[in-house]
Amino acid sequence: MRRVLVTGLGAVSPFGAGVKALWAGLAAGVCAIRPLRLIDAEGFRCRIAAEVPEIATGSSRRSRADRLALGAAREAMEDAGLGVEERANAALIVGAVGGGMLEAERWYWARARGERAPGWAASLRSILPAAHAETLAHRMALGGPRHTVVTACSSGAVALAEAAELIADGVVDCAVAGGVDAVTRLCFMGFNALKLLDPQPCRPFDRERRGMSIGEGAAFVVLEADEHARARGAPVYAELVGHGMTTDAYHVTAPQPDGEGMARAMGAALAAAGLPAGAVGYVNAHGTATPQNDRIEARAIARVFGAGRVLVSSSKSMIGHTMAAAGSLEAVATILALTHETVPPTANLTTPDPEVDFDCVPRVAREVAVEHAISNSFGFGGQNVTLLFRRA
Amino acid sequence: MSHSQRRGVVITGVGVVNAAVVGASPALDAWLEQPNAGARTPAGGARPAVRLPEETLSGLIDPDERRRLARVCQLTVAAARFAVAEAGLEPTGGLGLVVGSELGDFTSTIAFAEGYLSRGPAGLSALLFPNTVMNTMAATTAIAVAARELSLTINVPGVAGELAVARAAAAVASGRVDAVLAGGVDELDPLVVEMLEALGDEGVRGEGATFLVLESETAARARGATVRGRLAGAVWRSLPARPWGVGRRIASRAIVEALARAGRDAPGWVYASASGDAPRDAWESGVRSAALGSARPPAVSLGGLVGHHAGLGALHVAAAAWTARAGLLPDGAGGEPARVSGCGLVHGLGRGGGQVALIVEAA
Repeated sequence: MRRVLVTGLGAVSPFGAGVKALWAGLAAGVCAIRPLRLIDAEGFRCRIAAEVPEIATGSSRRSRADRLALGAAREAMEDAGLGVEERANAALIVGAVGGGMLEAERWYWARARGERAPGWAASLRSILPAAHAETLAHRMALGGPRHTVVTACSSGAVALAEAAELIADGVVDCAVAGGVDAVTRLCFMGFNALKLLDPQPCRPFDRERRGMSIGEGAAFVVLEADEHARARGAPVYAELVGHGMTTDAYHVTAPQPDGEGMARAMGAALAAAGLPAGAVGYVNAHGTATPQNDRIEARAIARVFGAGRVLVSSSKSMIGHTMAAAGSLEAVATILALTHETVPPTANLTTPDPEVDFDCVPRVAREVAVEHAISNSFGFGGQNVTLLFRRA
Repeated sequence: MSHSQRRGVVITGVGVVNAAVVGASPALDAWLEQPNAGARTPAGGARPAVRLPEETLSGLIDPDERRRLARVCQLTVAAARFAVAEAGLEPTGGLGLVVGSELGDFTSTIAFAEGYLSRGPAGLSALLFPNTVMNTMAATTAIAVAARELSLTINVPGVAGELAVARAAAAVASGRVDAVLAGGVDELDPLVVEMLEALGDEGVRGEGATFLVLESETAARARGATVRGRLAGAVWRSLPARPWGVGRRIASRAIVEALARAGRDAPGWVYASASGDAPRDAWESGVRSAALGSARPPAVSLGGLVGHHAGLGALHVAAAAWTARAGLLPDGAGGEPARVSGCGLVHGLGRGGGQVALIVEAA
């Protein structure tokens, strides 16, 4: 198996365009969850979300999600300095859920009201999750293997794991991988229907937490085989030393109460890396702030690493739950924590849950040099993914 | 694990649910000897499509599950159970799952939206919402067959089923998992049919699910499983094309690489992803001809019989395993099969340029 390095980072987040904006927000513990503007929240208990403030990339005729993806992927490829030849052979793996649903909803809503509904063809082209990969490959001239993975809220992390396997197995030398999702009515209404949204900005690991906050964004990374990256003098941020993908096979929406599937994912990542649990210093948690998820995840982390043995924080406290983008945005946050020797905090955490037996880095970032860190992502259907990074 | 250390991958279970054939290998094998077409019925678009009769599906899923599961999940679970039962896998063994789908559960997505449009927030269904995420088929099937290792849902135009099988084969070959249930599923929805026609897809649409159990050959032999075929090479690439478009380039590496991995020079016969979508079919044929040079193996597609859907790619792999065993290539128009020999190529090329090549041989 070949070693897999991270050589490029790109992000469009509720803090704005760019990795620098993302890190500035995360390191400062700023909460970007604000009143919703993109969709009408009238009649709903929750009316907030973490929206991307402005999108500079791409034609406004493209779906919002496509534009988020284009911005993040372009930054990652420019950061890595990928040339025409590398792009022509690079794999593209995208984690997606909503596709261009925001635009398709506008069309469908108008049709339901009996109004003229323009944009039919454009909406259809962008409605499926695969639309982002099709657009990115075409616009960025990415010519290697390409596919879209849909594993609900862990999709972005799965995309990185998939790309890492293609590189480790020698199928490609280089891959662009990440996740994207825009705020959509469907998603916002669905989590409202499940009563999983907090009317106030979410408070992961807080005793008073009441649920999650929706977010949107995109993050992509460039992954490369060690020898390929070294040969062309690429910048190296971190090594993706292991990952684990498991399934609860328990319930369509609820995680397994004992966290066994989550723990297996973390254990598999450690085993793939050949590392003991004690080597890991930081866990970027899935940390949705639902009462159930945070308690079960903390239990699973304790089972693998030992209670209180690692720092744990949730980026969702600042950028919300960005759905298919969450796994990749949080992977970027984890890599930046390693490179900046600073663990980002859990914003809005004022009263730690006594059932969460970890230092969850409340409100203020912590300067600490960590050698290895993991990023957890879990999704509907009990889809558990852990990515394990080593500092470069 | 390097390429040279890759494990052999074999097929030990097959499950098919579509308008023309329902069951495991015996049902599929019997159908392939003289395949009949599923009936084409109005489906919401300008052209009829091949839809699975409701009474067939209701006979496969118990009433309690029918109440709980969306129709596309019922298709998936029914086909998956046929495959896992035929493979004789222990429920406690480590089983992965890879589901290919082009369309997911549009029917539930539309029903969820209609609930809001008719009654506002009070009309939203918490039960329907999870079905709006495309991994709902994988989620329900993982529970039904206790698949607790990696679980992926792959979405790509035109070749989702072939790609799911290829991805699963890679997972087994690399040693990351010993057994994977892999295949494809789609259902017909009137809005989807209308949408695909608006995007220029001229093919015959269908619905259904086909799933295969793939195992490492060593593990399958050790437990005495019946081996139905070997996946000797699996490669996926992409060719340049606009989203949902048909490209011009016919030079590709996927077929040649798949043959090289299998240690073969040329296939003796081909299952191709022809679906009646004339521009795409012509592109696929051109790519295949360019890769195979002077070799002109006979080719068939079952797409005209069961309609194009993500299950078709996996159905072609299962059918290829039968052809490798029986030395017979079915007639895509329902006539007598032709005698063939050697290994087979299953080739998929979708609008947008997704390409998959799988080499199937007798084991």
